[in-house]
Amino acid sequence: MATLHSLPVFDEKGKTNQRPLSVLWRSLEERIRGGADRQAVAAEFALGAAELPEANNGTSRRSFVQLMGASAALAGLAACVRKPREQILGYTRQPEGVVPGKALHYSTASFLGGRATGLIATSYEGRPTKLDGNPAHPASLGGTGALDQGSLLQLYDPQRASVVKSRGQERAYHTFLVEQLARANQHAQNGGETLRFLMEPSSSPLLASLRERLRAQFPKAKFVSYTSLANEGWQEASEAAFGAQAETRLDLRDADVIASLDFDFLAGLPGTLAHQRAYADRRDPKAGEMNRLYVIEPGMSPTGGMADHRLAARPSEMIAIAQGLLGRVARITKSNDLARFANLNPALSAQQSRFLDALATDLVRSAGKSIVAVGERQPASVHLAAIAINSALGNSGKTVRYARSLLHDPEDGPKALAALAAEIKAGKVDTLFVTAHNPVYGAPADLEFGKLLKSVPNSVYLGYYEDETAAQTNWFVPLAHDLESWGDGLAPDGTVTFQQPLIAPLFNGVTAAELLASLLGEADKGSYGLLRAAWDARNKALGQGDLVSSANWEKWIADGFAANTAHADDVVPNWATLEKGIPSGAPAAVSGIEGYFATDYKVWDGRFGNNVWLQELPDPITKLTWENAALLSPATAKRLNVAQNDVVEIKAGTRSVRGTVFIQPGQSPETVQLALGYGRASAGEQIASGKGFNAGELRTTSTFWSAGSVEVSRVAGESNTLAQTQEHHNMDEGIHRAIALQATKEEVESNKLEEVQDNRGPQTSMYEPVKYEGFKWAMSIDLSRCTGCSACMTACQAENNIPVVGKEQVIKSREMHWLRLDRYYMGSEDAPEMITQPVMCQQCENAPCEYVCPVNATVHTDEGLNDMVYNRCVGTRYCSNNCPYKVRRFNFFSYTSDYSDVEKMVMNPDVTVRARGVMEKCTYCVQRIERVRIETRVAGTEIKDGDIHTACQDACPSQAIVFGSLHDPESAVSKLTRNTRRYDLLHDIGTRPRTVYLARVKNPNKELA
Amino acid sequence: MSAVAIADVRAKAQQARAELEPPAWIAPGENQPKQDDGTINKSLLDYIWKNTDEGWLKMLGLTSAGVGLLTVAIIITVWKGIGMWGNNIPVGWGWGITNFVWWIGIGHAGTLISAILLLFQQKWRTSINRFAEAMTLFAVVCAGLFPILHTGRPWLAIYWLFPYPSTMWIWPNFKSPLMWDVFAVSTYLTTSLLFWFLGLIPDLASLRDASVGRTRRMVYGFLALGWTGSARAWNHYKIAYLLLAGIATPLVLSVHTIVSFDFAVSVMPGWHTTIFPPYFVAGAVFSGFAMVCTLMLPARKILKIEHVITARHIELMCKVMLLTGLIVTYGYAMEQFASFYSANPYEYFAFYNRRAGPMAPFWYLMMFCNCVVPNLFWTKWGRTNLWAVWVASIFINIGMWCERFVIFVISLHRDFLPSSWAAFHPTIIDISLFVGTICLFLTLMLLFVRFLPAVAVSEIKELRLEMEHAAHAAHEAAAKNLGAGAGGVPAAAHAAPISGKEA
Repeated sequence: MATLHSLPVFDEKGKTNQRPLSVLWRSLEERIRGGADRQAVAAEFALGAAELPEANNGTSRRSFVQLMGASAALAGLAACVRKPREQILGYTRQPEGVVPGKALHYSTASFLGGRATGLIATSYEGRPTKLDGNPAHPASLGGTGALDQGSLLQLYDPQRASVVKSRGQERAYHTFLVEQLARANQHAQNGGETLRFLMEPSSSPLLASLRERLRAQFPKAKFVSYTSLANEGWQEASEAAFGAQAETRLDLRDADVIASLDFDFLAGLPGTLAHQRAYADRRDPKAGEMNRLYVIEPGMSPTGGMADHRLAARPSEMIAIAQGLLGRVARITKSNDLARFANLNPALSAQQSRFLDALATDLVRSAGKSIVAVGERQPASVHLAAIAINSALGNSGKTVRYARSLLHDPEDGPKALAALAAEIKAGKVDTLFVTAHNPVYGAPADLEFGKLLKSVPNSVYLGYYEDETAAQTNWFVPLAHDLESWGDGLAPDGTVTFQQPLIAPLFNGVTAAELLASLLGEADKGSYGLLRAAWDARNKALGQGDLVSSANWEKWIADGFAANTAHADDVVPNWATLEKGIPSGAPAAVSGIEGYFATDYKVWDGRFGNNVWLQELPDPITKLTWENAALLSPATAKRLNVAQNDVVEIKAGTRSVRGTVFIQPGQSPETVQLALGYGRASAGEQIASGKGFNAGELRTTSTFWSAGSVEVSRVAGESNTLAQTQEHHNMDEGIHRAIALQATKEEVESNKLEEVQDNRGPQTSMYEPVKYEGFKWAMSIDLSRCTGCSACMTACQAENNIPVVGKEQVIKSREMHWLRLDRYYMGSEDAPEMITQPVMCQQCENAPCEYVCPVNATVHTDEGLNDMVYNRCVGTRYCSNNCPYKVRRFNFFSYTSDYSDVEKMVMNPDVTVRARGVMEKCTYCVQRIERVRIETRVAGTEIKDGDIHTACQDACPSQAIVFGSLHDPESAVSKLTRNTRRYDLLHDIGTRPRTVYLARVKNPNKELA
Repeated sequence: MSAVAIADVRAKAQQARAELEPPAWIAPGENQPKQDDGTINKSLLDYIWKNTDEGWLKMLGLTSAGVGLLTVAIIITVWKGIGMWGNNIPVGWGWGITNFVWWIGIGHAGTLISAILLLFQQKWRTSINRFAEAMTLFAVVCAGLFPILHTGRPWLAIYWLFPYPSTMWIWPNFKSPLMWDVFAVSTYLTTSLLFWFLGLIPDLASLRDASVGRTRRMVYGFLALGWTGSARAWNHYKIAYLLLAGIATPLVLSVHTIVSFDFAVSVMPGWHTTIFPPYFVAGAVFSGFAMVCTLMLPARKILKIEHVITARHIELMCKVMLLTGLIVTYGYAMEQFASFYSANPYEYFAFYNRRAGPMAPFWYLMMFCNCVVPNLFWTKWGRTNLWAVWVASIFINIGMWCERFVIFVISLHRDFLPSSWAAFHPTIIDISLFVGTICLFLTLMLLFVRFLPAVAVSEIKELRLEMEHAAHAAHEAAAKNLGAGAGGVPAAAHAAPISGKEA
């Protein structure tokens, strides 16, 4: 115990002897006597007198307690959970501008459909975590679609292809390059007569230059583009009307009357974001003249939901409707160009005639300020009718522009592919490079493209996944993600847009440009080298000198696009050829049920099938997740005696598929809508595979968008429960509910908004109103602008690390989206109106969730936010029960614990990843508020209106969502809360929500009233 | 007056008394026309000493298997998460809270019988209070499982809901009714346990004194806490018992009132209503008595204690059920009326949805069980035919479970915004937990009737003495009054003398 002695024990030693005892005496006797007595007297009061004498065993009470305390503490330490070892590596060389924990933003672009959308990527320490629209880019204007938002997740998909393969065997990329170069030399000898390229549609100047160079080396080689969503009818019409491959460019800003013939331009799909914004800007009668939208379509779409007048028509009736419209316009305008169509008067139903009468009058009334726009599903004659009307009414050049196509291969439809297939069949193709997305899946079924591809002696596929096409080709090369690539492309208006990578390829992917360059022996240049070389050459050709010396390059890359490069090569219709394209007689009627195909809002052409964010994103109309369905109108379903979730067999000629019935209000009678992109059988995409059914199996080159007459019959005893996030409950089920409000233009102008007024204003309370200091955050959502495209939902998912839960959990109503889009129908089942309403946490000032939480896990901040304290939450779910808006989401399972290391990279480091058993909900993106607060505090400035954007607000292509502080009377949100259309959701309950809604305005035509 | 006339008058008086007086609280046994302390001890305590009955073992085996199922279901719930249940958004509370409130309700009969009826000096409580109190205790144990299990993170919920002085200075939210629940239920459990145990002490001492073998003597001796049965001990005991009864009485009202606040305090249509406290309390007593009947009818037969739990007891319980059933029916009627009269569309829809929504069968079942079935007890036959009472009591148990399901789940599944409406489907785990708690409850009851006296023996003995004294007094008074020329039954006969008793 000797060592114990040496421990310095506080307060023990020395103190008793600090003062010599001899100094202290109480009497003379005592002083004189001294000795033992003196010691005894001292001991009575001495410090430490209660201690055991040290001599005994060397341990005093104090030291004993100290040692015991230390041992207990050490024993406790030993029992602690061992944390996993983590390596922290500092930068040996700090990259410029990189501050750990601080986001950097770079401009980049996506090229869905061959046209560029400018994007801004957010990156943390070299890890992109969020994509937003580039506000300066003409195709985005700051907005994004759900697909662009979701494409981020695809970067971190652990199922991505990662290895170059030859017939299933892993090979080095170098081996591939050597073999291709050898092959190129062989092809060069006969000018590439048997060399073919099947490309993804593209407008990239870089690819154009590479193609030019390849053509120089292999003059007989052919390039073919293919997309399964090709606008085939337009291509035919364009050839007929203009004698060239042109494209339609819409400018909705000046359009007073818009007639959409099955053109779904408000769904956030690629190439339509700017339309959505321009449309929305014209939907407030107090902010300017309102536009009017007529939609004629076979199935319900977001555009149809926004329409002032909607007509459901079967696909086969569309030709007659277009003829009817053209004939009516011709008769009203008496335009010379249209005179030849004045006799067009096909037989139409009374309802259709009435609709077209009003529409034609309205179009002519707004001549020069109207638009007839046609969707990709329509045949050439409908497109031609629209070209005729737009040209004759003087719209073209103003609201519509017909210009030469910007795509390398404008004909990217089934005809082009069929020609290639014929060549393959004839054995004329020796080497085929495929960069088109998964043509084996997307090709019309009658081509049997998979078999043909297999018969090509040398085939190379550049794919993102080892999908259906990869299985049929000799060589497979992994494709780099957009965020891993340098590239370029043209926006729909021709603006040159640049794509810069945010991260080095995670899985050794290469770009299409690199693949093409490999035949020129330039693969080692990399995507940056190729892009740079191409633009250097182009700059020189334009006489602007070397790019390195010009400031252009840095600016272009930083901006994401080259300003003032929009261009158009206008074309004018040839009336004679145009006339021939429009049949004068009645089109053939289709008997029985008519089948047609639809572009999916989530998986698009199937390429997003492995994307769990998009798979779980509810369809804007059906609110279906994880699969597609056979959409039937209520009356047709009744006639066929099938119910929702029944499995039916859909037979078109000899081809048939089995799909699940979904009953869709507003669906045209006796039709079945089949969304493409599902029913995948891809070995490399476990998530995409087996979801839904492949409607493409019914597609042939001649029935590309419309399957014609199909037989629909119930498969006895088979059913499949569809995972819907919202059922077809009517807003007024049982009682009238003031939820998603709308009014007509006249009502807004004359301020006759009783229901809106009833749902706002102060409420009596027993309590003193809370004074919010600093800021008073609030949000406004304009239902007049919201089309329901769902970009905000995916943006929210990316920003707030929201987990996906899978089909089974969605069926159990446990989806986790903090922001949902409620879709309600009004009116009859056959011809309903539809309205969409985004609902997230309303941040009630008087929040029902707060007072019921037993552990204070959801509390109010002094700025009026309703905060969730995840660490404190024990998960009673009482808050959710008491939430009238049901916007709270609960982690029923541990949805986040099984992320792989790659998947974890997508997480936003500013937002907690929630654990099992915890409640979560919209926070008004509190992390963004705090980040701006910190930045302004560091900079010594104030937070200004517009400094803080929520993720949903950033994403919204139509700018329906506005966020800010109510304390600033001039802030955008303050002004909107004073709008005559403002109302509070469930105002009666007295929750005093901070989120306010602006009632939707409709601009109906009195002639159709 | 001639002897014949006196005899005649006496016979008439006896007849009148027989007509006026209901059957005795303690009936004669099969072979003992008159009960005394010995026969009571023998009939009420002796079965504890008998060898374990095979039937009992079989039942215990069955219910223990159910407890095993419960254990597995609990482990799965805690291991995997609440997702194993049928709960979703909007139905945050499904079977878990339904079961919780059902069990808490069942627990109400015990306290009502033991505390309130004691304070009101209702003699008939004596034979059934022990059994009902044990039932209360076990029901509260079953109930208590659910609030903990239904949370997302039970390992934290189990103590974060208590206001302990944490170093972080974080307190629970005292505004939350769930917080109040914690106090209400834990107080109720503690008080019920103390009340039950205190009542057991004299009987435990009896068992100790009669036990053969060291182990038994040690166990019962330990539990008897050194009870001697002295007058002093009885004096303290009686005061303590009365005090506990006083404390427990408000709990009968408060526990279910506070449980009802979980719903009444919210803003949900179908929940946000001031009628809940009385309506919940009545429902609780209703279901509690139903459960007492369900269990006691077979138990009295099997344990051969029909002489202390007589048909008269059953009949009185039926009357309580009839009363509370009518209160509950009134509650249902008022809810429906208020939903119509309030002109609140959401409220109206909530109740319309109960009647006509997708889960309406539960509402109709509830109406049948809770409003139609108790009307059986208007008839003498209905109250005295044991089979009828037993079947009716089971219906009431089912009906009261449905009531909670209707209030919680049907209100939640369709609330304000139709977009968030969803259906609710229970899972196998939900069912296992419910069946499991029933088995846990029965297991505890089986153990209770095997090792502890199911009837408060000392109180029965006291009651017997009281009745005997009263009878003697009545006889004497009758004789005196007859002598004085007056007839009839003296009121004084009911005054119970206070007497010290043996243990």
